[in-house]
Amino acid sequence: MIVSRREEWLGRTLLVLLMLVTVLPFVSLFVTALHQPGTYPSGLSWPATPHWSNFADAFKAAHMGKLLWSSVIIVIGVVPISMLISTLAGFALGHLRPPGGRAVFIGFVLGLTLPFEGIIIPLYYQMRDFGLLNTRWAIILPLIGLYMPFAVFWMRAHFINMPEDISEAARIDGANTWQLFWRIHVPLSMPALSALAILLFLWTWNQFLLAVVLVSDPAQRTMAGALGAFQGQWGTDIPLLCAGSLLILTPTLIIFLVFQRRFVAALLQGSLKG
Amino acid sequence: MHKRSTVIQGRREEDAVARFTTESRRRALSARRLRRGGLALALMAPAVLAYVVFVIRPIVMTVQYSFYEWNGVTPSTWVGLANYVELFHNPELSGSIVHAFELIIFFSFVPVALGLFTANAIRGFATSRLAVVSRTVLFLPQIIPLVAAGIMWSWQMSTDGLVNQVLRLLGLGRVGRAWLGDFNTALPAVGVIGAWVLFGLCMLLLLAGMTKIDPALYEAARVDGAGPFREFFAITLPSLRQEIVVCLTVTVIAALASFDLVDNATRGGPGNSTLVPGLEIYYLAFFQREVGMASALAVALMVLVLAVVVPLQLINREGKS
Amino acid sequence: MSRPRFAQRTTFTATVLLGSVLTLAACSSPGGTAPTSKSASTSSSSFAGGAPSCGTAPVALSTYIETGFPVPKDLSDEFTKQYPNVTFNIREDQFAVITQNAPRVLVDDPPDLMRLPQVSELAKDGLLLNLDPYAKAFGWDKWPASQLEQMRVNSSGGRGDGSLYAMGLNFSMTGVFYNKELAAKFGMTSAPTTLAELDADLKKAKEAGLTPAAQFNGGATGGLAFPLQGLMAAYGDASAINAWIFQKPGATIDTPTNLQAAEHLKSWIDAGYFASDINSIDYATMMSRFIDGKSVFIFNGDWESGNLDAKMAGNVGFFLMPSATAGGKFGAMSAPLTYGISAKAKHPDCAAFFLNWVATNDKARTIDVQVGGSHPMGPADAFMPSIDASTVTAQTLAAGAQIGADNGAMDFIANATGAIYAKSWTPNLQKMDAGQLDAKGLLSAVQGDYQSEIGG
Repeated sequence: MIVSRREEWLGRTLLVLLMLVTVLPFVSLFVTALHQPGTYPSGLSWPATPHWSNFADAFKAAHMGKLLWSSVIIVIGVVPISMLISTLAGFALGHLRPPGGRAVFIGFVLGLTLPFEGIIIPLYYQMRDFGLLNTRWAIILPLIGLYMPFAVFWMRAHFINMPEDISEAARIDGANTWQLFWRIHVPLSMPALSALAILLFLWTWNQFLLAVVLVSDPAQRTMAGALGAFQGQWGTDIPLLCAGSLLILTPTLIIFLVFQRRFVAALLQGSLKG
Repeated sequence: MHKRSTVIQGRREEDAVARFTTESRRRALSARRLRRGGLALALMAPAVLAYVVFVIRPIVMTVQYSFYEWNGVTPSTWVGLANYVELFHNPELSGSIVHAFELIIFFSFVPVALGLFTANAIRGFATSRLAVVSRTVLFLPQIIPLVAAGIMWSWQMSTDGLVNQVLRLLGLGRVGRAWLGDFNTALPAVGVIGAWVLFGLCMLLLLAGMTKIDPALYEAARVDGAGPFREFFAITLPSLRQEIVVCLTVTVIAALASFDLVDNATRGGPGNSTLVPGLEIYYLAFFQREVGMASALAVALMVLVLAVVVPLQLINREGKS
Repeated sequence: MSRPRFAQRTTFTATVLLGSVLTLAACSSPGGTAPTSKSASTSSSSFAGGAPSCGTAPVALSTYIETGFPVPKDLSDEFTKQYPNVTFNIREDQFAVITQNAPRVLVDDPPDLMRLPQVSELAKDGLLLNLDPYAKAFGWDKWPASQLEQMRVNSSGGRGDGSLYAMGLNFSMTGVFYNKELAAKFGMTSAPTTLAELDADLKKAKEAGLTPAAQFNGGATGGLAFPLQGLMAAYGDASAINAWIFQKPGATIDTPTNLQAAEHLKSWIDAGYFASDINSIDYATMMSRFIDGKSVFIFNGDWESGNLDAKMAGNVGFFLMPSATAGGKFGAMSAPLTYGISAKAKHPDCAAFFLNWVATNDKARTIDVQVGGSHPMGPADAFMPSIDASTVTAQTLAAGAQIGADNGAMDFIANATGAIYAKSWTPNLQKMDAGQLDAKGLLSAVQGDYQSEIGG
């Protein structure tokens, strides 16, 4: 592509500017977290005496250990099961293509654009009737259901693109459907599966609405839900709130920075396919 | 006993023979297909079950609730379409829907437009070090929960926050105010936060789409004497139809269904100037205990999302064919 | 498979699916079963050994309190010192969040003790424990009746009489705090005694380049309700305002004297006596600004007296909102710091015992006054700790006596219904501050919302 020097220079400046605007709020959060608790620092200003202890205080006040653990449990509850049943369904719909499959698939597609607020009210009463309110199951079970449209769509799209020859060859070798699935297709689906895992992990970790409505104990919520509770309790102490928010953000940030490329690829693909 | 085993044995022999005739081959195929169909249905069952119990049934229940007046505790009363009528007449409720559409301007159009502009400007050096680093940096807002974005920005947009500090540095101090507390600027301010969250995603999507465009097209255009504007509108934009539709879909849904961001940044205030349907549903159902009214609004929201997203997908479909 | 058969199969599976789901859902109308707990249930609980107590076995009381106020926590610590078998499981949240969560939490995750600004609807729905048996056992009905009046709800949901559904940790008093140092800068050396004098003081503060009042009005809590109610009492009768708050039939907030009060507030807004960004500052920001000397006056209550005495020793003064007419009666919002016991609480007896202890134990009463700055509940002749006369706490306690004498105690206008504060007063006060609503519009909007809430 022929691009003039000036265009490139302008482009680079624009990019740097945008990156600055993106990063500045994080920096501001960090700097504010170092101020004396209870104060209202003006704008971006390095405090005279940085209160590094704010992070320790926020860690204790928010019971960060428990929150991390709770989020991990919820992710463990949601992601593997969702991936398993959506892969099974995607395999059935995309590869086996049974009669009536198209109707089921359309049923799933209709749920792709569903805003969670649309069903949060009956979910609340449903969980109440099941006796699961204020437990982690209240978040885990609905999320599994809510992820089905996207996850089934995603895995089906992958399986549809799988050429028939592989399955034919395997069947001739005497494999039944079960072995076909586990020994051949699952290993081949690793890229799609890992992308799905990343997406589901992120969405679960950052899930707010379900956590806030269905679970009142912050120690049973997701990190995002717990942050909401943290803000409810400490929202009037800005430096402490900033410190706590940063601590809550750190796990996802670290995981993101380590797996950057995978994350970006997954999210881009996820939006395109969805 | 003896008779049965011979009958079974006989049938097996029959099958073995039948395998070699075309007509029974078809029969065997359809039998396998049926078995496979049964197996396939069994494989789909868990996903379908989860979906029906936690999504389909609640949708139906929301619709059912919308025809009642209920406070969640005591028995309910049937009111028919009264809740929907109230939806149109009550300015607070219809206003929330209007606000959601206003947010679309910030959540959708700004990220897409700015994304197009930026992606176009940097596609020349899309493989350079700077661009690769920018990919990670610009994605950060997508990784954090919207709650965190709300907390970050509500602090920065306060009277003594970073935004006003920068304005003062630029000599625009007089323009500064409590952006999220001012009736005229609260909704746009929430929009700006949303644009910040969604911009990176849109830009990277569009950039990925741009790198797939055949450079030969650009060569040909340059040879024909086309300038950068013509290049953009004649080649780049049409090729990005799918990516643009995806950006618009994702961001429009984010705008219409917004809850996390608004709840944290403004709680719907000041006045009701930033009240959006997602938030109003929550308040109506769990705070004012008007479950029927909230459900009617929830139904309206679901219909609205479909009404906006389906045409978008059809545009995409059209473009493909 | 032939085409028609395929289509048949599809429609068949679809109909079966849809049909089963519909039958699943359409079974019963929501909330069909009768409520499990009845309202106004006078449970005749017989207490072992006379009065209820916390016993000797380890008890963990779960309490849900308001963040930013040390009184409940200090009281809990002291209680555990005196009764080591009782520990507290404390959950804190901001005022607006507590009010929002109250209906759900009381049903799904009931604490033993919960801070509840507004109890009439919760009592009507049977979510709170009827405290009459405890009142009898502990002798609360021998206290001055005005202390308990606001916490009584009758069988039709009206307030002011009927069974007791909440108890206070103390009762508070509201008025105007001022920064003495800043006030001296424009020549204000003593508190104004008439409304006209207050107007003049505000004007002088503005002319001296100071911020007269950085009153909180942001988020879900519109703090302009404080000066508004003060002005309403300055122009009109406290009992009329109480009638509206207590949902007495025919009561309205849109009265001629209230209109005068609202217009007076509007004149202060128009004259720029409030900081320009009050629609975005919350309670904590207001306190921070006042303590830092960035606001001359604030309209607040004596629950901050202890805090202000600690942070602005000797520099803060208090006065009641003066009457519109010279020598007129005083009226002020004076309400108990209400705590309710959930109908499904696990340790109701112990919770009630704690409430009684707060009002009768000397140490507890001292904490109430010194940390909370407010007057404890309890008999009129109960122990009162001695207070330094130069503190603002002394001033607020003295003001309390004045209000008692003038019979001017009112509940908070924000407590008229469960949602009137967040959904009506706050947005409308914010609109009025932004110039989008005038005084008449404010009152008629609030009255309209009030009627749809209690009528519907």
